[in-house]
Amino acid sequence: MPDKVKSVADVVRSIPDGSHVALGGFAIARNSTVFAHEVIRQQKKNLTLSQGVMGLETDLIVGAGLAKKIIVGGGSLDRFGPARCINRARDNGSVEHIDLSSLSLSFAYLAGALGITFIPIKSLLASEMFDRFEKSASEYIRKGTCPFTGEQYVFLRALQPDVSVVHVQIADTEGNCWINGPRWESEEQAKSAKRLIITAEELVPTEYIQRQPERTIIPGHRVEAVVHQPYGGHPTGVFGSYDYDADHLRLYANAHKTPEGMKAYLDEYVLGTKDHWGYLEKVGGLRKMDDIKAEAIWGY
Amino acid sequence: MATTEVRDAAASEQVSASEIMVTAASMEVHDGEVAVVGIGLPQLACVLARRTHAPGMSMVLEIGVVNMAPVDTPVGLADSRIFYKATCWSGFLDSLGLNLHRGVVDVGFIGALECDEHGNVNTTATKGPDGKLVYFNGSAGGNDVATSAKRVVVIVRHGKRKLPKTVAYLTSPGFRDGKSRKELGLPGGGPVRVITDMAVLGFDNPERRAEVISMHPGITVEKLKENTGFDLIIPKDVPITPLPTKEQLRLLREEIDPKRVYLRGMD
Repeated sequence: MPDKVKSVADVVRSIPDGSHVALGGFAIARNSTVFAHEVIRQQKKNLTLSQGVMGLETDLIVGAGLAKKIIVGGGSLDRFGPARCINRARDNGSVEHIDLSSLSLSFAYLAGALGITFIPIKSLLASEMFDRFEKSASEYIRKGTCPFTGEQYVFLRALQPDVSVVHVQIADTEGNCWINGPRWESEEQAKSAKRLIITAEELVPTEYIQRQPERTIIPGHRVEAVVHQPYGGHPTGVFGSYDYDADHLRLYANAHKTPEGMKAYLDEYVLGTKDHWGYLEKVGGLRKMDDIKAEAIWGY
Repeated sequence: MATTEVRDAAASEQVSASEIMVTAASMEVHDGEVAVVGIGLPQLACVLARRTHAPGMSMVLEIGVVNMAPVDTPVGLADSRIFYKATCWSGFLDSLGLNLHRGVVDVGFIGALECDEHGNVNTTATKGPDGKLVYFNGSAGGNDVATSAKRVVVIVRHGKRKLPKTVAYLTSPGFRDGKSRKELGLPGGGPVRVITDMAVLGFDNPERRAEVISMHPGITVEKLKENTGFDLIIPKDVPITPLPTKEQLRLLREEIDPKRVYLRGMD
């Protein structure tokens, strides 16, 4: 059985500058912070990022100035505020932004995952997103009609990201993954990508997976590498594993209000730490991790 | 507070605008219906509906959660607190695709940065003083809901800038340019109500323009006009929005949002 466990540093090193990287988080849930941080440490450049509902990981990479384009459905840090680095980058034009909706991102990934080149959808019709792209980004969306009924549709071009990075609760060394709680677009996003990287809270023996194979959302044969990193999603919440870290999210939400604040944050917490273990120590170590650890019944 | 016909004695208590909004929103969902909701007031409205007149309604969250029964107040859709006691966990393809896009969602609630006279909603960007766009959260599931739900209820605070003649960015279409949904090619029925902290608006007129359905107690026609960025259709006799009953208020205050995390937000 292949052992696909790798270090996050090795995985990130294998991703060329300019790649299209799909990220698996949703606002402040199940973000692969361990991956986003390493991208920033290695200063990967000119990335295209895509995500249904963007959250902290996208805000971090955009805030570090490493993204040239985002393809997104929207997003925020929930009640901790807007994704200010992303919004600032859209305001000042430093990042090209393809703004769609949650379902249209899902559909575009689904088309990519099915190996078809486009998919019709009713969403985005008569919206400004469509107006804008009809003029400027017809490589992503166009208007079309059903060949059977003549009904009007938006045709979305399939997305097949170079790499998809999904953070999951449980994986084995082969890459078989269980995702606990709701899954937003994780499955179709994972399966649309040319290369799939999993970051996992917990590494389990395959025999454990074999006991409930119906829970496997991503089968190992699709997975290139598994990064094992407990608290790899901190400060976002990972259902059943730990709650979001409200203290740290407040600190972040305050820091990223200005480019200077964001730079200081990255210098201290990301560039100033050697790896994710160092980061976890910096944000409060074992005591903090125990504070946010999920309670068995609630899952948070 | 203005004299009004209320169903019981709730009027004797101080009732907040948020409580009136949540109650009005809850009355837009009927028993047995399926609703797609976001976090905040829409969620409170649906929980209130389930606990009162619509015990058989279903709530779907875009993230992929059905009929949750959280015991702690969540900070957003991405908060595990809102996954608690759900009967189904899935994802966008299921919630927004196999249900909403499929056409089985009766009512969808959306919030708004801006909502214009034809019920078009902006959640993407406002115009700064220099005319440049200042970006905000974007659509997420909002455009999908506005496209495909049979009925859409928009929740927005009343104000001249929140209710402009034309939205700065049209994220989620209502009756764009006054056109019918059929003309626009949109499968869902579009906005039926806009619920604000001053009034309830509707679009059931030939021009598909915002029309006052009711005003909250204490609000006058003059005040409404002053705070609206477009010409409202104002019928001769505008009814007063019903106040929450004692039981609706008790549920909201003691059980549904005891910490007033969301009820406080709009006050």
